[in-house]
Amino acid sequence: MDNAMLDCRGMICPQPVIETRKALEQKPAVISVLVDNAPASENVRRLLEKSAYSVAVEQREPSLWAVTGSAGAACTVCAEAEAIIEKSGERSRRTLVFLSSEFLGSGNDELGAKLMANFLLTLPEMGENLWRIVMVNGGVKLTAAPGRALDALKKLEASGVSLLVCGTCLEHYGLLEQKQVGETTNMLDIVTSLDLADKIIRP
Amino acid sequence: MPPDPEGRIVHGFSNNEDAVLVKAPPAGMALVQTVDILGPIGNSARLFGQTAAANALSDVYAMGGIPWSVMNVAAFPSPENPDDAPISVLAEIITGAMEKVAEAGAVLAGGHTLDDEYIKFGLAVTGAIDPAKAARNDGLVAGDVLILTKALGTGILATGIKAKWPGFEEAEKEMYRWTTHLNTAAAEVIRAMGLKAATDITGFGLGGHLLEMAKGSGVSAELDCSALPFMDQAEELASFGLIPAGTYRNRDHASCHTTVSSSADELRSTLVFDAQTSGGLLLAVPQERVQEACERLNALNEPAFIVGRILPMRDKKEQLIIA
Repeated sequence: MDNAMLDCRGMICPQPVIETRKALEQKPAVISVLVDNAPASENVRRLLEKSAYSVAVEQREPSLWAVTGSAGAACTVCAEAEAIIEKSGERSRRTLVFLSSEFLGSGNDELGAKLMANFLLTLPEMGENLWRIVMVNGGVKLTAAPGRALDALKKLEASGVSLLVCGTCLEHYGLLEQKQVGETTNMLDIVTSLDLADKIIRP
Repeated sequence: MPPDPEGRIVHGFSNNEDAVLVKAPPAGMALVQTVDILGPIGNSARLFGQTAAANALSDVYAMGGIPWSVMNVAAFPSPENPDDAPISVLAEIITGAMEKVAEAGAVLAGGHTLDDEYIKFGLAVTGAIDPAKAARNDGLVAGDVLILTKALGTGILATGIKAKWPGFEEAEKEMYRWTTHLNTAAAEVIRAMGLKAATDITGFGLGGHLLEMAKGSGVSAELDCSALPFMDQAEELASFGLIPAGTYRNRDHASCHTTVSSSADELRSTLVFDAQTSGGLLLAVPQERVQEACERLNALNEPAFIVGRILPMRDKKEQLIIA
């Protein structure tokens, strides 16, 4: 049978085991499972061993494991998984944009609002490095007020950029219900994000 | 409502009183107090309630105490959508819990429910105990033999049930059979024999809780892998990789104080740390009284599994040895 590749990153136990079990129904000759936590790597290894595969577990990054089972004796990570691993290795930069106001710059707010919309519409030019946008204080108004800025944020979110919106701030401005984009979050997530980022842009 | 034949509740909450007046235990007795709250385990509201109650009561039993009064602590999302759990689920949970509180002979002294994102339930328990005779976490002595009163595997079975792994219905029955069982008999044996050290096995697993005791007592402890009792299906499910992350965390957290002998079964050396819900009591019994302890437990229809022994410190360090 064909080889199988499962991307179980972002899944916690027992989900990777459930996914792997489903994939095993096709009886693949080689199966590679990518996981991002140690318990999942150990559990997938156990399932593959129990299913009579010879298994190799390779930790490629601090939180990336490739668990490969082979029905034969030799055991190498299958090509498709290898490609994902290589690509994730290339991702070296995590750029975070921190917005604490709905305006870009100070001087004239009408101009500032226009500039902010342009800024958000141009952000995709950063390419894959753009990782996350954090909005606090007046910045959270961008997630609620219809217009070019909101459209730009929706587009960014759809393209995979994560948007974190300060819950305390939404509450303060009475915008919890009006928020149309992004994930409502707390200060711990914000501080953790700042810590994880490779580069922080504060326009 | 659990019965109150002795009239321990002096003034209850029936007229919307905010606090409950409870009679104190007999003179000379001390209070033993604890609170324990769980997220749902398995798919039955009533049996989850029983489990959460047994789990909370267990902390009192582990010292040799007798439950006196309890308070419910519940968190429940107020139902807004048709898919949300109806309020009758909360009623079922409480019904289950009260069945166990009645079985334990304690009375209900009120409680508190809050609107929350997830369901949680537990009890704050007050027990009565002779302070001179309480079994403690730090009372292990080299030479003691370790007796466990419930089989291990709630973490594994709960994971298998969550995954709907083939056979999960039986796994659920097996899990609840153990988790809803009160540790009353084991507590009675602690009192009858005047045992000095005991604990109940919960979130840190057998290995984690035993290591805590060893550290507190300045001793090492040895567990015999081949003698460990497991719930039906626990080892089978674990071998398929249905081991919760918490179990691995327990193992890794204890690793610098743990020695696994090469003869120990690899899977069992991990399952030693399986996070338990409402686990059994672990009793430390002087060598010459082991037979008596087993006979007393068996006479009360309680299992007695001899799982290990206490040794002096090794290299001036408290160690957990998995043999």
